Amino acid sequence: MEQYAIEMLHITKKFPGIIANDDITLQLKKGEIHALLGENGAGKSTLMSVLFGLYQLEEGEIRKDGQTVTIHDPNDANALGIGMVHQHFKLVECFSVLDNIILGAETTRGGFLQKAEARKKVMALSEQYGLSVDPDAIIEDITVGMQQRTEILKMLYRDNEILIFDEPTAVLTPQEIQELMTIMKNLAAEGKSILFITHKLAEIMQVADRCTVLRKGKYIGTVDIKDSTPESLSAMMVGRDVNFVVEKAPVELGDVVLDVQHMTVASKHHKNNAVNDVSFQVRRGEIVCIAGIDGNGQTELVYGLSGLEPLKGGKITMNGVDITHLPIRKRLTNGMSHIPEDRHKHGLVLDYTLEDNIVLQRYFEPEFTSPMGFLKRKNIRSYAERLIEQYDVRSGQGPITKARSMSGGNQQKAIIAREIDKNPELLIAVQPTRGLDVGAIEYIHKQLVAQRDAGKGVLLVSLELDEVMNVSDRILVLYEGEIVGEFDPKQVSVEELGLYMAGSKRKEAQDRAN
Amino acid sequence: MILLLQYTLIFASVLVLVALGGCFSEHSGVINIGLEGIMVMGALGGALTMKYLPPDLNAALVILIVILACVVVGMLFSLLLGVAAIRFNADQTLVGTALNLLGPAAAVVLVRAINMAEDINNVSTTVAYGTAKKAFTTNIGSFEFNWFMLVALLVLIASYIVLYKTRFGLRLCACGEHPQAADSVGINVYKMRYAGVLISGALGGLGGLVYITAGVSEWKFENGVAGFGFLALAVMIFGQWKPINIGLAALLFGLFRALSNVYTGFDVLVALNLPNTVYNMLPYIISLIVLVFVSGKSKAPKAEGIPYDKGQR
Amino acid sequence: MQTDRKRESLLRNSGVQTIIGSLLCIAIGLLIGYVVLLIINPAGAGGAIAAILKNYFYYPSHVAVLKYLGTTLVKASALLVCSLSVLFAWKVGLFNIGVAGQYVIGAGASLYCALGLGLPWYVCLIAAMVCAALVGGISGALKAYFNVNEVISCIMLNWIGLYAVNMLLNTVKEQSTPYTKSLASANSSALLPNVGLDKIFSNNEYVTIGIIFAVLAAIIVWVLLDRTKFGFELKATGLNKHAARYCGMREKRNIILAMMISGALAGLGAAVLFLCGIEQWMVQMTSIPAMGFNGIAAAFLGGSHPIGAIFSSYFIQHITSGGSYVDKAMYSAQISDLISAFIIYLCGFVFFFKGWLGRLLDKRDEKRAAAQEKGGKAQ
Repeated sequence: MEQYAIEMLHITKKFPGIIANDDITLQLKKGEIHALLGENGAGKSTLMSVLFGLYQLEEGEIRKDGQTVTIHDPNDANALGIGMVHQHFKLVECFSVLDNIILGAETTRGGFLQKAEARKKVMALSEQYGLSVDPDAIIEDITVGMQQRTEILKMLYRDNEILIFDEPTAVLTPQEIQELMTIMKNLAAEGKSILFITHKLAEIMQVADRCTVLRKGKYIGTVDIKDSTPESLSAMMVGRDVNFVVEKAPVELGDVVLDVQHMTVASKHHKNNAVNDVSFQVRRGEIVCIAGIDGNGQTELVYGLSGLEPLKGGKITMNGVDITHLPIRKRLTNGMSHIPEDRHKHGLVLDYTLEDNIVLQRYFEPEFTSPMGFLKRKNIRSYAERLIEQYDVRSGQGPITKARSMSGGNQQKAIIAREIDKNPELLIAVQPTRGLDVGAIEYIHKQLVAQRDAGKGVLLVSLELDEVMNVSDRILVLYEGEIVGEFDPKQVSVEELGLYMAGSKRKEAQDRAN
Repeated sequence: MILLLQYTLIFASVLVLVALGGCFSEHSGVINIGLEGIMVMGALGGALTMKYLPPDLNAALVILIVILACVVVGMLFSLLLGVAAIRFNADQTLVGTALNLLGPAAAVVLVRAINMAEDINNVSTTVAYGTAKKAFTTNIGSFEFNWFMLVALLVLIASYIVLYKTRFGLRLCACGEHPQAADSVGINVYKMRYAGVLISGALGGLGGLVYITAGVSEWKFENGVAGFGFLALAVMIFGQWKPINIGLAALLFGLFRALSNVYTGFDVLVALNLPNTVYNMLPYIISLIVLVFVSGKSKAPKAEGIPYDKGQR
Repeated sequence: MQTDRKRESLLRNSGVQTIIGSLLCIAIGLLIGYVVLLIINPAGAGGAIAAILKNYFYYPSHVAVLKYLGTTLVKASALLVCSLSVLFAWKVGLFNIGVAGQYVIGAGASLYCALGLGLPWYVCLIAAMVCAALVGGISGALKAYFNVNEVISCIMLNWIGLYAVNMLLNTVKEQSTPYTKSLASANSSALLPNVGLDKIFSNNEYVTIGIIFAVLAAIIVWVLLDRTKFGFELKATGLNKHAARYCGMREKRNIILAMMISGALAGLGAAVLFLCGIEQWMVQMTSIPAMGFNGIAAAFLGGSHPIGAIFSSYFIQHITSGGSYVDKAMYSAQISDLISAFIIYLCGFVFFFKGWLGRLLDKRDEKRAAAQEKGGKAQ
């Protein structure tokens, strides 16, 4: 009989209006790396939350070493030796690495913390598994990679035997990803059992022993990696062949829409500039993509362009007009559209209705506001209805639906409808497909290409290399606030891009010009 | 001069106690605007206890019992905030404001009821605690030493140790900074937040008592505590939520507050010929100016004011 | 079944939920007040609560009832404008606890213009609004440019305002008392015109155009917030200031403007009360007048809607005035303040109550759907 560390048998978990997990079975062998594969919304996170005690299961059972167990909260999970590195790290930013590791599992004498003992144990673990960290560094000052190692040490410090990694590579550079893969193999070799949640096939092929696939809340199957190919896994994950390549006509370059010269933006987090002396151009009829690892100045670059942050230096020209010091509203009414990175923070007023969100960039125009300052509600309604129809934005009650109650994909569609229907000269799209399912991603890519074909300039900021390679006509790599390379997607490999994104290679401006 | 020192120290003691109360509550993630009301209730609890204590009791015992009384009353009253904010996700500012109105109103109604029950014509809002109060002070030369100055200092030291050296403090701060992280390592965020609010109630109540006994005469409860709860919040912000800084900030604010009591003793100040009212305004003006300078780079706990909902992840 | 559905869809309406919530707050608040009275003295508790609720109906004569109804209305109109001040700021995401201090400033400015400078009522009224608006604007500017929490800055300004106004009005007080001179004798041109309203309320000279101003203010605030571009921007700023900034609204300007308008309303509240001559300012005041704080109660009890505020302000003033009719031999008038305070406290739960009601209805829907499914299968 097989030795299973953890078995989740016939798990069902429902939320109002949706079955997140429908009869799912997952068996994790001792000492293996087991991948859990599925698209966004396939039910991976829910399943792991059930295992970690964050949600309670409705049907099915969980077994540890063959014994049925119940897990009510993370404490129970911890007592069973289950630990998890969450996708969004659960670290207290103003605490030190050591404080974060011991939090919740502190050694105390008479209520007082005994940090010296804890430090010894942490240092020993860090040596044993090759996880280098500085225990006294404050979390907000250290790199994402080191934060992740802190999370792993948190599990090891608690002597966890079953380690769950939830999308651990999304925030790492290709090189850091390689380090993590090595660490994971080390851990498995030392007898830890690892559950690895991801939607990246290459990583599974590289590191996993077996793989369980979910689709739309249902269990599709479990396969041995040595008998699988990326294509076979992909087919299981999506249930149909996906057209990974975006169809588009050759570039027809027009005038320069956006000209950025020596742009510098100060950072809020550190003393260096977030964006440092960046110069580039976007022309009509092309999609220029800013590629890079999260946190290398993309956000600040876009804030500088849109006016959300002031520039420390440099000049921005749009359509021949110097917009460096123009207020946000002026930039937006002069032909800039901006699909923001964070649709909940910037993109929408969640407690406004869909129609009010649709006119958020135009409510002040004569079509929607009378000269006396009164809103023309009728016009707003008919305009919203037209966009909802045209862009297929689905919602419970049409124009009067509260944006908060809409699905992420439809919220994003509403934003895209709003920004594209403004008929911009320059469309800035920041991670427009983040967190959306395959269907919505295809739709959004088509819209971006349509804008480009209509002779607009498109500036796309993306963290997804697939998107970068497939959609863009030109790639600029941003590393630590500087452009370190410019590429034609047809003439560069993903590996090559990765080296630039990680800062281990760079082209100087002169080289680029030549 | 000695008088100025004495008043500075006693007002600083009040501010330090109440500000530390606010500090504990905010580190747990609950904004406690209601400290003003909590002070009044704590003061009331203490005052009534003093009134009914047998007059010939040992001074140390009097201090102990009275402290216990105002601490318990303050904690009970702060539970109103705790339950609303933690269990029912109510708006913390709104509920805190309600507490500030509730405290003085309840105190007046209660004190009048007690006074009128004793003497139908007595509609004053003072509690007769004059005799018991003597236990709190002892004269060192011309300096009137108040035992609460020592209590405040001890509480300050204890707060520093609790927040930075104990498991409880580590967990408390985690709940105010990143409650989801705390929850994921098995810390009960709700319990820790209740603890934070209750400590603020205890210290707020104690601070209230010290405040009303700082004056020479018996306190009129219809006056509440004259915005001292809010001054304490300003002290807490100025101290950037750190006990030692809060102690220093409290001394500074205490000095300005003391000036309004004793400025007549300083020839320089009398020569300025400013109306009394200016000195009354001074602490508030100073704190407003101070806030302008320190609020920009605020070190406030990140999750304060946000109700924690286990379902939202 | 059909009527059931109708009733439930009505229950799902957010406005209806707010009204139910507010009524519950009132009922529970009164109940708690009753219990407090019972504890103090069981004998008169019922009578005292009745007195609070009856207010001017205490008087047997029809004429007196009308007269004191007028007085309650005058005070309620001031309270209404204060509550508008609170809810206006609230809509923009600001908690204007400074309404109390801005009210004080309004009182100081209007009385000083009337008594010290001898100006006519409309100038006094405008002066009150402008000065209070400036003080509100300070809090707004501190918030917008220095990230100073508006609650704390407002509280500080409340006390600064109180002492400043005491100092200012000390110059126009009566010789022998700590009260400011009476408007009627010192400068009757500063009295708000009665425009015939006094006749309706048994010649209550305090009933003036101020009541009309207050109701007008409520309607203007409603239209402004609900129907105009400006209101659209203000609410967007309040709900999500990042999104407001992203789409080019000037959120700093909006915060300052909102606090200024809020302040102006508080000033208007003071002006309509003090310029009708019903009250004089006591220049040795050591606590901030309760009017502003009651405005907070009225705003939230009215579901932070201008029209709701009309009713809630009247109710709060009704029981506050009613407090003076309780048997003074047993209780103090502050029992009304206590009840108001409880009502504010309970308003904090309204949001939770709405969510709970929604979930309850959802559950019933689900049950019914399940039952129908079963019924369908059986056939």
